Amino acid sequence: MARSYWYYGKKRGHRRTGSPALASAGEALFFAVFLLLGCGGFVLFFTTLVVPQWRVNHEFAQNTCKVLAKRIAETQGTDGTLYRPEFMIEYDVDDVTYGKGEWHYDIHKTYSSGRENAQTVLDRFDLYDKAKQNVYPCWYDPANPREVVLARGYRWWIWLVFTVPASFVVIGAGGLIYTLLHRGKSAEHRAAMMQRTLERELFNAGPRGDQQYPSIPQGADIINSPGTKLRFRLPAAASTGWALFGALAFCVLWNGVVSVFVAMALRSHIAGKPEWALTFFIVPFLLIGLGAIVVFIRRLLVATGIGPTLMEISDHPLHPGGQYRVFLSQSGRLIVGALRVSLVCVETAAYRQGTNSRTETREVHRHEAFCREGFDVQSGRPLEVEFDLELPAGVMHSFKAAHNEIAWTLVVDGHIDRWPNFRRAFPVIVRPAGRL
Amino acid sequence: MRTEPTIIIRLDGNGRVYRPGETLAGDYWIESLTACQLKAVEVSVLWHTEGKGDEDMAVHEFWRRDADDGRQIDPSRPERFSTTLPNSPLSYEGPIVKIRWCVRVRAFLPLGKEVVGQKVFQLGDVPAVRM
Repeated sequence: MARSYWYYGKKRGHRRTGSPALASAGEALFFAVFLLLGCGGFVLFFTTLVVPQWRVNHEFAQNTCKVLAKRIAETQGTDGTLYRPEFMIEYDVDDVTYGKGEWHYDIHKTYSSGRENAQTVLDRFDLYDKAKQNVYPCWYDPANPREVVLARGYRWWIWLVFTVPASFVVIGAGGLIYTLLHRGKSAEHRAAMMQRTLERELFNAGPRGDQQYPSIPQGADIINSPGTKLRFRLPAAASTGWALFGALAFCVLWNGVVSVFVAMALRSHIAGKPEWALTFFIVPFLLIGLGAIVVFIRRLLVATGIGPTLMEISDHPLHPGGQYRVFLSQSGRLIVGALRVSLVCVETAAYRQGTNSRTETREVHRHEAFCREGFDVQSGRPLEVEFDLELPAGVMHSFKAAHNEIAWTLVVDGHIDRWPNFRRAFPVIVRPAGRL
Repeated sequence: MRTEPTIIIRLDGNGRVYRPGETLAGDYWIESLTACQLKAVEVSVLWHTEGKGDEDMAVHEFWRRDADDGRQIDPSRPERFSTTLPNSPLSYEGPIVKIRWCVRVRAFLPLGKEVVGQKVFQLGDVPAVRM
């Protein structure tokens, strides 16, 4: 069925129908404005800051002047009063006397926040004394002798100012180049270009697994550890240590903040002026904090009390209809109610909802491969079992894209007497069953 | 009355399940469009996702013909395409993730207007997941 795209269209979810040409032109215009603003800023700052400073240092002529008066000029800035030293001077150029009635110091006429700095500059110059005949060097513009300064040199902060237009130029030029390169190109054309680039990189990188099975993870980290009983030792999905650290960090941060408010509420009650609004307000936050402590303790018990779980497999990647041997080792000192190993397939979909990113998961397949109930694990004598795993024919292979994923995992679920239940997952890769 | 251009895509062995490594071939043509109206035409063999998540897409094969190249494109004449299908991903129908393969033809007309037609096909025979 054919669809037509017109200049104006409707937004359908995150897909927008409409004229790509108009969208591209709007995008180009947006970045062009950024680029123009950046270039304009460069020109403005260059002509008003860099050029005058350079002229003072290279083109202004040196002369001597008499200081007739000095003062600290003040102006109101956004953060308070700003100051600058100013001098009324007198100097001669070609038998003409300049300077009287005007205040000078440097070329930029900038104010700063420290009055002491301005006073220090002021103190370096003494008023003209006929007896001393004290004069100071000054530099004037030969093209306009009325323009004169008592201080030369370069100011480093001028270059910092250029970071503002530079950022505009980078964003504008980058966006414009990207837009022009993709102008008139469809989503498929852009995807094909990206695909070719990726293929070139993969070709140069070496292993061609991704090219043979596009969109299926290679799982190189799964087969880089040999097993002791079977061919590969499978890595666990997430480090227990990191999960424990995450729970601890949340627990400390949350309860640290909440404790401040709890202390305030308690103090008000002890002082006899109870703040009931604050007290009721913090109750739910306090409950969440207590929950976090429970979760942390539970994880701590599981991490320290239940020994490591090792899983090895006879071959990898898996294929639908394939049969494999799996070795399971569970250490610790446990009275196990039940221990199950299941092969689980989960779909994961990430999507945007307004400004939020959300992820939804759905278990679509679960096949119990091993189960043992009511047994003990002694310290130094781990449970070690080998069992068969058959991946049903016709199931979907592993798949991973930017927003969607189909992932297979061997999951160990343990029910321990008087202990929290635990779950440990070992990802595996499933590839299609060869060429059908 | 003005008729909208329509893209017709026909696959050899229409409706059958294609297997990885097999050749997908077919032809396409555009109805109600004259040669001078067609600036370019793109043919893509691609997969994209549907379902709960944001859309992912990857192009397996891509061809583009421009009228600017000096060759006049006759939109009414069936044009052949052919490609060897990859090993993955296979077509899939899950509760929140779906993978669809299709041949998509996009015709570029004057004034930035585009006409798109696509034909979905099945790669592999993974049964739909019933929850």
